[in-house]
Amino acid sequence: MKKITPPKWADGFLMWYCRPDVLEEIQGDAYELYYRKAEENKKLADLQFIWNVLRFFRWKNINKTKTKHYPSQLSIAMLKNILVVTVRNFLRQPGHSFLNVFGLSAGFTCTILIILWVAHEYSFDRFHAEPDRIFKILTHVEANGDVQTYGVASCVIDLSSVPEAETLVSVSSGDRWPHELCFRPEGKANECIYMNGVYANENLFSVFNFPILEGDQNPLKGSANIAISEKMALALYGNANPVGKTIKIDDTREVTIVSVFKNISSNSTLQFDFALPYAILKKQWGINDEGFAQNFFNMYVKTNTSISAKQLTKKLNDVRVVTDEHKAQKLSYQAYPVTDWHLKSKFEGGKNTGGRIEYIILFIIIGGLVVIMAVINFVNMSTARATLRAKEIGIRKVTGAVRGTIIAQFMGESFLLVFFAFALSVVAAQLMLPLFNTLLTEPISLNMVSGLMPLYLVGFLLTVALLAGIYPSLILSSFQPIRILKNQFNSNTSGSQRFRKSLLIVQLSVSIGIIIFSGVLYYQLNFVTNKNIGFDRSNMVRIEPTFPLLKKFASFKNELSKDASILGVAASNVNPLNTGGGNTGVSWPGKPKDLRISFKTIGCSPEFPETLGLKILEGRNFQSQPLDSLRTEVLVSEDAVKAMNLENSIGEEIKIGGSTCVIIGVINDFHTESLHEVRQPVILYHTDYEHVSALYVRYQSGSTQQAMATISKVYKSFEPSFTMKYWFQDETFDDLYKTEIIASRLILLFTIITSIIAGLGIIGLATFNAFRKTKEISVRRVFGASVAQALLMLFNEFTLVLIVSTLIAIPLAWYAADHWLQGFAYRTPMPWWIYFITCAGVVTIIALIVWIQGMKTISASPSKTLRSE
Amino acid sequence: MKGDYLGELEELVLLHVGILYPEAYGISVMDEIERQAGRSLNISAIHSVLTRLEEKGFLKSKMGDPSAERGGRRKRIFLLTAAGKRAIEEANELRTQLFNQIPKVALQFKMA
Repeated sequence: MKKITPPKWADGFLMWYCRPDVLEEIQGDAYELYYRKAEENKKLADLQFIWNVLRFFRWKNINKTKTKHYPSQLSIAMLKNILVVTVRNFLRQPGHSFLNVFGLSAGFTCTILIILWVAHEYSFDRFHAEPDRIFKILTHVEANGDVQTYGVASCVIDLSSVPEAETLVSVSSGDRWPHELCFRPEGKANECIYMNGVYANENLFSVFNFPILEGDQNPLKGSANIAISEKMALALYGNANPVGKTIKIDDTREVTIVSVFKNISSNSTLQFDFALPYAILKKQWGINDEGFAQNFFNMYVKTNTSISAKQLTKKLNDVRVVTDEHKAQKLSYQAYPVTDWHLKSKFEGGKNTGGRIEYIILFIIIGGLVVIMAVINFVNMSTARATLRAKEIGIRKVTGAVRGTIIAQFMGESFLLVFFAFALSVVAAQLMLPLFNTLLTEPISLNMVSGLMPLYLVGFLLTVALLAGIYPSLILSSFQPIRILKNQFNSNTSGSQRFRKSLLIVQLSVSIGIIIFSGVLYYQLNFVTNKNIGFDRSNMVRIEPTFPLLKKFASFKNELSKDASILGVAASNVNPLNTGGGNTGVSWPGKPKDLRISFKTIGCSPEFPETLGLKILEGRNFQSQPLDSLRTEVLVSEDAVKAMNLENSIGEEIKIGGSTCVIIGVINDFHTESLHEVRQPVILYHTDYEHVSALYVRYQSGSTQQAMATISKVYKSFEPSFTMKYWFQDETFDDLYKTEIIASRLILLFTIITSIIAGLGIIGLATFNAFRKTKEISVRRVFGASVAQALLMLFNEFTLVLIVSTLIAIPLAWYAADHWLQGFAYRTPMPWWIYFITCAGVVTIIALIVWIQGMKTISASPSKTLRSE
Repeated sequence: MKGDYLGELEELVLLHVGILYPEAYGISVMDEIERQAGRSLNISAIHSVLTRLEEKGFLKSKMGDPSAERGGRRKRIFLLTAAGKRAIEEANELRTQLFNQIPKVALQFKMA
């Protein structure tokens, strides 16, 4: 029969409040009544017991003299003593103390770095005046039954019907010509400094907070003006004042430097070193106002009142704003807070689905977990350690310390250690920042600690110190001196033993979870890198050509081909790795009227398919001289054939925009974007060399250096006054996964740190266990237990902990990993072996630690340990 | 002095302690009062009365033997003191005296 007892909490409450001299009779009466009632009805008896306990809660019965008051418990001498004892204890077992503080500062360092990074990410675009009144206009376009979202809008959008819209800023940015231009320092006609800039309307500097240091405050008013950054001024003119000087763009168009602006801070989405008016862009592109109006740029609206993004969006989609032509293209606008764009720029089906914010949240969670783990570790080790200091507490109590003093002592120690660990971690964070910055490819620094942050930090530290100190101090101060000094205190550590085990479960679950998650992350990134994307991206360099070079493409190619390490040279107008927006203006015979499908159209030279490594499955390749001068020859991918539903694709006539094309061949499918996106149908069309944007050179694998030397030499001979700009295609490919790669590096870093912390925790507990069980082991050994049996006994302490933490960690890790994998259109099946290996690894490591720590105890002669007392 | 005054409940409890000699403790007093006087009181009320009476000097107490139904705890057995005995006697006397002074007429109720 199960033993019937009254509700524990009520009994505990009674014991807590009741005066000790009357407790026995009161409790006795309550119990007697309880058992009497319990014979008929347990539930009623419980209720009655609780009722009685509450009724006994009277002024007379309450224990009023909890602590006897001694004058000034915390005198200076006392504080000094606490300090001295702390330092002595710290030095007595330096290894242990080091582990303890090291674990905590590792956790703090992690958190500091994460806080800095998160603060940096959150500060994006918030430095403008009244940032909540600036909106970016996004464009949603319906195609393929899906909605694509772009961060740009029509540059001639008419907002005169929206009274709230005060100013409109239009910025055209990009990373190639004409946004990236070659400037020549004064007097050095053959030197070329590439700078990236924007073309914008005149509101750029008035709406955004890009302070102008010198010269005209409104530089974009004139049609031949340029504003340059400090950095550019320094690069081109050294310390001389550049304002008023003229400079040539593309070595032809002369513009006057009218102002110098402060370098754009790294937490701005818009980054540029010069700003030019649109008049120049029109000349560069050689288009008139009508052609210019077709363009989509970054558009920003500043409103004159606070208006919600939703309301503004509604007004932007008014008939007076969206033109009929755009409506026919199923286009709609959205006003998006400018401060949100950096973190929440991922859209699916016209709805925001996150973006960088997902990683921010992930890292905030990881940072929180790391701190929790570090604190748990600290608590674990302090408690384990403090049990060994029981005698000290006994003596203190005997010589007159009350509970408060002991609590103050341990709290004091905890505060000292926490602050010491924090000081260490600040130094460590400062030292690690350069490394961290290379991982992030973004500069962050401790200087960003500003505003209320120090206050939060102090609050955070106090909380950690309190959390870390409260448990040891409460447990230890409750020891009864007589039992300690008689060496009987072990009996009351079973509770703290359980507590420590549950803390270890939390630690282990977190570590196992993070290790599994980062394993899956790396596995997927590996999958992405190794996946056949349809063409060969390795051993290929992309060169940005100058216009004169394109005119002489044939001889350039000839010169290059003289080197045996160069295998092929081709040209195209977009990078096949990252083609950007699709083309919905493709039509073919039998195309349903309402169907809108987006194709990736790539204009390229005849050498392009072969150089890239595309296979022509049907038909033929382009010829250098097209047979048909009226129709453009095109190659289509298998996806495109399927999308157009053509039976006999070769020879079929299709239209891209207004121009007529003929299909001459079918090529294999290939990915034109990151693997987050589903593969799109592709059309390659033959284009002149003058209309391409990049040259692609394929070289022999393993002879990169030789090939690059040849390429530079030949380039120099064609364009002596330009510095060659080039990129390796596989690096460009990695750039597509920049966020993921950064995240994976950070996660790896934190995985290591959490593993170290958890390892420290296990070492601490294993040492403590081995120490606590010294006698038991000796007795067992005397009775003939083998070393293995003794070790197994020590290991068994961890069995339950291990099982529970795996059971917690695996589903959580699976959920997180699966969620993350969903972001890829192409993903690996869940690699279950990572789960298995992680768990097996953890078991092995624990076994190893137990073995190392346990062997010390086990190998000691039993007679020695048993005789010692 | 307030201490000399015996309240109604105090008197009741004091009488029962006397009745239950030598086994008077919280619960037995509570049970007995319920049985004899038909008044159901909470154990905590009995306790506070008992302690009050002890403070006034009408009762003395000693710890009894531990018993299983009390979870191994001892009872506090209450005994009447001389002062306690006198207090009941006085109260009893006073009551009889006063009762006897009531004119017979006042006690004759007739069915009207």
